Amino acid sequence: MKAYILKRLLSMIPVLLIVAIFVFFLIHMIPGDPAAVMLGPEATPEEVESLKEELGLNLPIYQQFFEWSLHALQGDLGNSLYMNQPVLDAFTSHLGPTLSLALLAQGVSIFLAIPIGVLAARKRGTGIDRTFMIIAMLGMSIPSFLLALLLMLVFGVQLNWLPVAGYTSLSEGLWEHLKYLILPAISLGTIQAAVIARMTRSSMIDILSMNFIKTAKAKGLKQKVVIYKHAFRNALIPILTILGETFGALITGAVVTETVFNLPGIGQLVINAITRRDYAVIQGTILLIAVTYLFLNLIIDLLYGLVDPRVRLNRK
Amino acid sequence: MKVKTKVGGLLLLMMVLILAACNGNSEPEAEGSEQGSGGEVKTGGTLEVAYPTQPQTLDPHGTTAEATRDAAKVIYEGLVTINENYEVIPQLADSFEVSDDNKNVTFKLREGVLFHNGKEMTSADVIASMQKWAKSKPELGEHEWVAADDYTVELKLSQPSSLIMYFLADVGNLAAIMPKEVAESAEATGAKEYIGTGPFQFVEWKQDEVIQFKKFEDYVPDEDATDGLGGKKEAFVDAINWRFVPDASTRVNGLMSGQYHFAHMLSYDSIPQVESNPQVEVDVWPYGIEGLVFNKKEGLFTDVKARQAVNSALDMEVIMSSAFTGEDYYNLDPSLFLESQTDWYTDAGKENYNQKDVDKAKQLLEEAGYNGEEIIILTSRDYEHHYNAAVATQQQLEEIGMNVKLDVYDWPTLLERRNDPGAYHMFYTGFSTTFTPHQFVFLDSGTAWPGWTNNAEIDRLLDEINVAASQDEAKELYAQLQQVMWEDLPVINTGTNSRVSGYSKDLKGYTNLSGPNFWNVSINQ
Repeated sequence: MKAYILKRLLSMIPVLLIVAIFVFFLIHMIPGDPAAVMLGPEATPEEVESLKEELGLNLPIYQQFFEWSLHALQGDLGNSLYMNQPVLDAFTSHLGPTLSLALLAQGVSIFLAIPIGVLAARKRGTGIDRTFMIIAMLGMSIPSFLLALLLMLVFGVQLNWLPVAGYTSLSEGLWEHLKYLILPAISLGTIQAAVIARMTRSSMIDILSMNFIKTAKAKGLKQKVVIYKHAFRNALIPILTILGETFGALITGAVVTETVFNLPGIGQLVINAITRRDYAVIQGTILLIAVTYLFLNLIIDLLYGLVDPRVRLNRK
Repeated sequence: MKVKTKVGGLLLLMMVLILAACNGNSEPEAEGSEQGSGGEVKTGGTLEVAYPTQPQTLDPHGTTAEATRDAAKVIYEGLVTINENYEVIPQLADSFEVSDDNKNVTFKLREGVLFHNGKEMTSADVIASMQKWAKSKPELGEHEWVAADDYTVELKLSQPSSLIMYFLADVGNLAAIMPKEVAESAEATGAKEYIGTGPFQFVEWKQDEVIQFKKFEDYVPDEDATDGLGGKKEAFVDAINWRFVPDASTRVNGLMSGQYHFAHMLSYDSIPQVESNPQVEVDVWPYGIEGLVFNKKEGLFTDVKARQAVNSALDMEVIMSSAFTGEDYYNLDPSLFLESQTDWYTDAGKENYNQKDVDKAKQLLEEAGYNGEEIIILTSRDYEHHYNAAVATQQQLEEIGMNVKLDVYDWPTLLERRNDPGAYHMFYTGFSTTFTPHQFVFLDSGTAWPGWTNNAEIDRLLDEINVAASQDEAKELYAQLQQVMWEDLPVINTGTNSRVSGYSKDLKGYTNLSGPNFWNVSINQ
């Protein structure tokens, strides 16, 4: 196990290196410069030039890359030109809303998807199964901004039950924190639920047709025990994979949902950094997102071993 | 069975909710607002502002960005400012006197004005601030700030300038007074601390979320009656949460739900929806001009005849209504200044504006030797009005036989592309209201601004305006300049236009002059 983890950690290095090189040169290849954005459209070329000089943006590109990499290796991802703060601080301050939203949205999707998927598999071919799968299909096809705006209009504007947009951190109270996240979590979670429910259904159908389930039923075990203890646990591996993927997508920035609900999360940070051409933030954030993704994948792989004892990670 | 009932119930609930959403605003909110108009001013409360963009800094010295200007106004003040008619009036100065030769200005400072750090403002702070501000003002030429005593400051210019007071009063690049030590320790990207003399003080900045201001309890207001951005200013609310809400529909929804008291820059399409809400007022405020800028360094439009051909062809009504949707939001006017800017406004050159003369345009185009080459208009969908204006222009120019292509980029890319004279022929941009002709950056050949205007006559007139003995003379010279501009066409001004903000009816005392203003504003809830 330890050897496996170490091997996986070491294999992250080349991946991160490729990401770093790719992002750095890609963002510098795109036209537009941060000094022009900072000074506004009516700034004269001399003003822009002198700010570029002061910000060190006129150095040769390879020199900028070398300096950035050297600092990044020491854990210093540079400073945001636009926000006047270290990139790591910007990342961590934007991570809170994203993490809360991801957890809540994942909660919503699991709460909806697992029972629906299991039920649809049990009632395979019946009206219930078809209804749920049509709803799931619809859920997958709805653009997230549409559902977000609809929820906002109903629960925010018309009923005034919940705030339309914004964010308050957990330190100001649980309800203050949650009330801003409920609508975005529902809008994100429902759409994710559609994907997870379909996967749960098909995985459960596969397992339910296996001989050991028939044996369990023949032994006279209760339906609940057969479904949840025998079938569901065995169906969990593909579900876990999809949960890992959806959580990864949630945590690395639900850009549209964050924009519509005005949550200052990672998605917004990246989008704003791109429009501001805030190079250090783009590079640093993408690198940190890559790290997060790699760690999430590792955790999911380790979880396989826990769920299914047949998976022996240290053998490979 | 149970499941069926639950699913049915859920679907029914969803349908009811969707119907409720589609039902518009037939049901007023439970919380009625019966407070009378005017009368008693309520104090206290937190003002919630939804603003589309986060500024890079609150220090207004080095930037003309509107996001900085609008937020900085609540904490900073300058020596002078403007009144309702854009005329210069004192603010932190008690009075000012310009010498007859326009080379010296003496400012008597108001005594007892406190900074947010509790220190009293003196001439040392003024001089340090003005020296920092002047770094981005090459148009001042050689000059010197001198302290005559603690409350008297003199500005000595090497060249006479009739415009110096306008530069000092310009909120677009506010000549904010800050404590000496803050001004002196500032970096290239702005001051490290935001300390001014305004009615509100800076509290905290949560990046991409909110800037918090609170009432400055020791604020010393001017005794004169409120006029424009000057006179008596008071903080009636306890605090302002200046929230950054980039999505336009979110600003609208937040305003309609009562979460925000004020939402800046609403999309033109959303106005009917906002107007249908009895709790919300719409504020249409003059922004400036929409300009089609020619590349005069390379390509077809180095020839003035080609520029005149384009100008002759354009139907401004179609362009402006495409860009700004309805005539409530634009004005077909050849002037660079607003009609309310009585110091400068003129309609000189109007005969060349909005000609819609296709035959004349074709004739001029032939004379310019146009051979069907591809003409590129740079544009961006980040600002729909610029894009829509470009589409309308493309159609109109195709009617006179031009082969026009739109190159669409995101805004930062456009800002870079427009510096390359080989990359384009024209682009649209907006120019916000300025206080002097010199601040229209496309007029002066010295600025080398994209488009590269090079007209000796315009340069001469700009110089003469700068040394004019009186405002009447300056205005007369400016009328000549505007006439030349409409003949030489460095830029085609397609018309003046407005932007739209919305505010809650509970908000009293709100005004907009060079952006929204939140002093003398109360929440009557």
